[in-house]
Amino acid sequence: MIKPTTMSRRIEKEFRFFLNGKAMTVRAPPCHTLLEILRYELRMTGTKEGCARGDCGECTVLLNGEPVHSCLTVMTQVEGKNVTTIEGIDPEHRLVRSFVEAGAVQCGHCTPGLIISSYALLLKRPRPTEEEVKEAIRGNLCRCTGYSKIVKAVLSAAGV
Amino acid sequence: MSSMASYVGAPVVRRDAFEKATGTANYASDLFPDGFLWVSVLRSRYPHALIKGIDARRARSHPGVVAVLTHEDVPVNRFGVFAKDRPVLCDDKVRYIGDPVALVAAETREAALEAVKLIDVDYEPLPAVTDPIAALRADSPRVHESGNICRQTSLRFGDVEEAFARADIVVEGTYTTGTQIHAFLETEAGISYLDEKGRIVVVAGGQSPHRDRAEIAHALNVPAEQVRVITPYVGGAFGGKDDVTVQIHLALVTAKTGRPARLVLSREESMISGTKRHPAIIKMRTAASRDGRLLANEVEIIYDTGAYAALGPAVLDVAIENCNGPYRVSSARIDAYLVYTNNMVASAFRGFGAPQVMFAMERQVDRIARRIGIDPIELRMINAIRKGDIYVFGNKMEGSVGIYECLKVAMDHPIWRDRRKDGTLEYPWLRRGVGVAAGMKGYTIGALPDRGSVSVELKRDGSVVVGGSFTEIGQGVVESVAQLAAELLKVPVERVQVLFADTERSPDTSVTSASRQLFLAGNALRKAVVALTERVKDLVELETGGRPTSVTFTEKGVLVNSNEVMPLNELAERLELRGFGRMVIGTYEVPKVEPIAGTLEIPHLFFMFGVTMAEVIVNVLTGTVTVPRVVAVIDAGRVINPINFTGQIEGAVVQGLGYALIEEAKIVGGYLQTKDLSTYLIPSSKDAPTIEVIPVETFEEEGPFGAKGIGEVGILSVAPAIVNAVAEACGVEPTSIPLTPEKLYWLLKEGGLVDRLRGNEGRIG
Ligand code: FES
Ligand code: FES
Repeated sequence: MIKPTTMSRRIEKEFRFFLNGKAMTVRAPPCHTLLEILRYELRMTGTKEGCARGDCGECTVLLNGEPVHSCLTVMTQVEGKNVTTIEGIDPEHRLVRSFVEAGAVQCGHCTPGLIISSYALLLKRPRPTEEEVKEAIRGNLCRCTGYSKIVKAVLSAAGV
Repeated sequence: MSSMASYVGAPVVRRDAFEKATGTANYASDLFPDGFLWVSVLRSRYPHALIKGIDARRARSHPGVVAVLTHEDVPVNRFGVFAKDRPVLCDDKVRYIGDPVALVAAETREAALEAVKLIDVDYEPLPAVTDPIAALRADSPRVHESGNICRQTSLRFGDVEEAFARADIVVEGTYTTGTQIHAFLETEAGISYLDEKGRIVVVAGGQSPHRDRAEIAHALNVPAEQVRVITPYVGGAFGGKDDVTVQIHLALVTAKTGRPARLVLSREESMISGTKRHPAIIKMRTAASRDGRLLANEVEIIYDTGAYAALGPAVLDVAIENCNGPYRVSSARIDAYLVYTNNMVASAFRGFGAPQVMFAMERQVDRIARRIGIDPIELRMINAIRKGDIYVFGNKMEGSVGIYECLKVAMDHPIWRDRRKDGTLEYPWLRRGVGVAAGMKGYTIGALPDRGSVSVELKRDGSVVVGGSFTEIGQGVVESVAQLAAELLKVPVERVQVLFADTERSPDTSVTSASRQLFLAGNALRKAVVALTERVKDLVELETGGRPTSVTFTEKGVLVNSNEVMPLNELAERLELRGFGRMVIGTYEVPKVEPIAGTLEIPHLFFMFGVTMAEVIVNVLTGTVTVPRVVAVIDAGRVINPINFTGQIEGAVVQGLGYALIEEAKIVGGYLQTKDLSTYLIPSSKDAPTIEVIPVETFEEEGPFGAKGIGEVGILSVAPAIVNAVAEACGVEPTSIPLTPEKLYWLLKEGGLVDRLRGNEGRIG
């Protein structure tokens, strides 16, 4: 008979990082992903889970300004870093406004991840081309919109 | 938005967009009720096996586990809308690999996931049948006691033999279409709990709260009043949440433990257990005259519904009804089979059985055009049905029929006019082509009863609350309903609150499917406004003794007898004071006709139509197809919200592109090989074409403000348009989708195109 592993035997470690500018300490097994911590421990549900294996881009957050899949980012990688989630983006941000106005939001489940990816793009390329936008969001799947209005929203936020 | 008479047709921004974009909107998967149990599902290991026994002792004693439930815990262990053939938890046998066998409810996620692996199921594997044609043979393994034919019907209209005898041209083909997976971004998800009155509340992603409630109540053997279903924002559905998914399991855990519960399927679990688009085999023989008239169609339709019927019987009807396309085909012979196999369950998916037959028919029509040497759009125009026509089933097309207008617009569009002009491509192994296809599908539920109610409540501050059980699955119905209410009551749209999809608080507006939720809700809303006018008359009559002759809503309030204006807040006060109540309910029943013999819901009264044109570039050496441009011309009735409208069509076009070219669910011996989004690919931003959506605004007299269904029409003719473009570009006749590079490459090779190019290469080199 297999001896079941129990909760009490799991190894936990303390992790310190900055979440949307605030210092955070969480206790978690080192193999836990940032997404699990965000959604299941902190109950910050703005960051969505679509696959938990790096295929859909829904869980995209910024790690020191770079977009990463939080479902593939384990807590040891987060130690000491800055994490920005959708909750850390100003609701007045032009990207939010342009997504809303362009009709880029249907079911909206992909939207937070897309806004984070687009935000990272605009940090680097304030005036991207259409191709650059498509490239930057290629890892963010959307099943509802067909992407047209998303690309338009990013371009219009960039004033292109 | 100041001009009040202009909500219908205005690009009003959706009210849910902002909270969704900022991450504050709650979906079912975002809910964590206090003290909830994590639920995990044990699913079948085999596509087909007897269950000899289930030993859950090890799982039950696992730390953190609160309950392990099996079929013994289910009061009524069969559910399903058309046939109660689906076990809540399998008892005698498992019929596909996603079949649920047991549930674990535990204090932690880890415990729930671990304990599932500790349940010992004694299976006796049975031979599996995974090919629908094999399943039809007498010696096939039986998926159900009753045999493998879930539904079969044969229909004859007109003199097919005579038509074939006098035909100049007969085109024949066998077409196959793949298993498409919905791949909504939010997997099946929900929570459950007991409310203060001891009722079970299920908050889950779904499409039909009242129907889900009935399914839950049936399985738990409790009155429906004991169950409340709430559907919050849903992260995509497309038909994949039309059937029950997690709802009964959640209710069962809460009923057995008294505790709140949470169940969210993993992506893999969603891919395996969720319903699919029916894979199909369609044989067609089509007769035409030399001058391009379609004379007869002989069709055999085989849809693989997998292990259970789900909504398959109705899907088959839609296939039958639309397999002759939007054409004046004068005779038809149709044999249709819905077959059980040990594959994944197939059910509703945007288009509901129509895209498969549309692929077959529109390929046929294109081949006929090539045989005659006529412009494919012209051929379609010669045959296009018109309003008032008697369709092949003998039914009169009474609703708006805009297919001819769509084809006319398509014919004049530059993508078509100039399709042979831009000949120059970068490399000799690239080929360009433009293809066209038409599509049709009935909306509303046809000859089946289809009724829905909407409530309108006047608040004392003069604002309005509209209630209905429609679900917000991304399509924007909430905003559209608000727009209609604003238009009817002449209030600013911001003053309309919409209360949706809660069996306790919103009246039954029937199911959100078949592209007709706005049609149904909009019409019920119109009735509610009529009821409200009557109530105003009652009020005035009581107060003044005279019944007003006219009551109309104006921007200043309700105008009585064209002299007294009563602001809505005042009206609300007075209704309250006089005991009339401030809420009215409007109920609309979709007009319908008797179903024709051998069908469930044929004919529909109302149809949507569209034409898709696609430009493709084919790499002959690799078989890859890219689609730079798509033009969708849609008979949309009156467009209520142009942003929502184009959004629906653009999304459908890209789903159709995936269906045509890349979405390949590989199922081998009943086992799904493509269990994640890196093996089952859906289109990304890099695959999506530039899409131009052109509405042809016909007027649907029965529709609210002339509107008709738009949810599904965009996908209907995408796959055949793309494949017709490939045929045009390369001179081959593909018959199978998805048209993967592998399939196309071999076809091109067979056609000699690859070798011709290879032979050329030396010279180009
Ligand atoms: S949830 Fe992380 S990529 Fe899908
Ligand atoms: S809006 Fe639904 S997945 Fe993008």
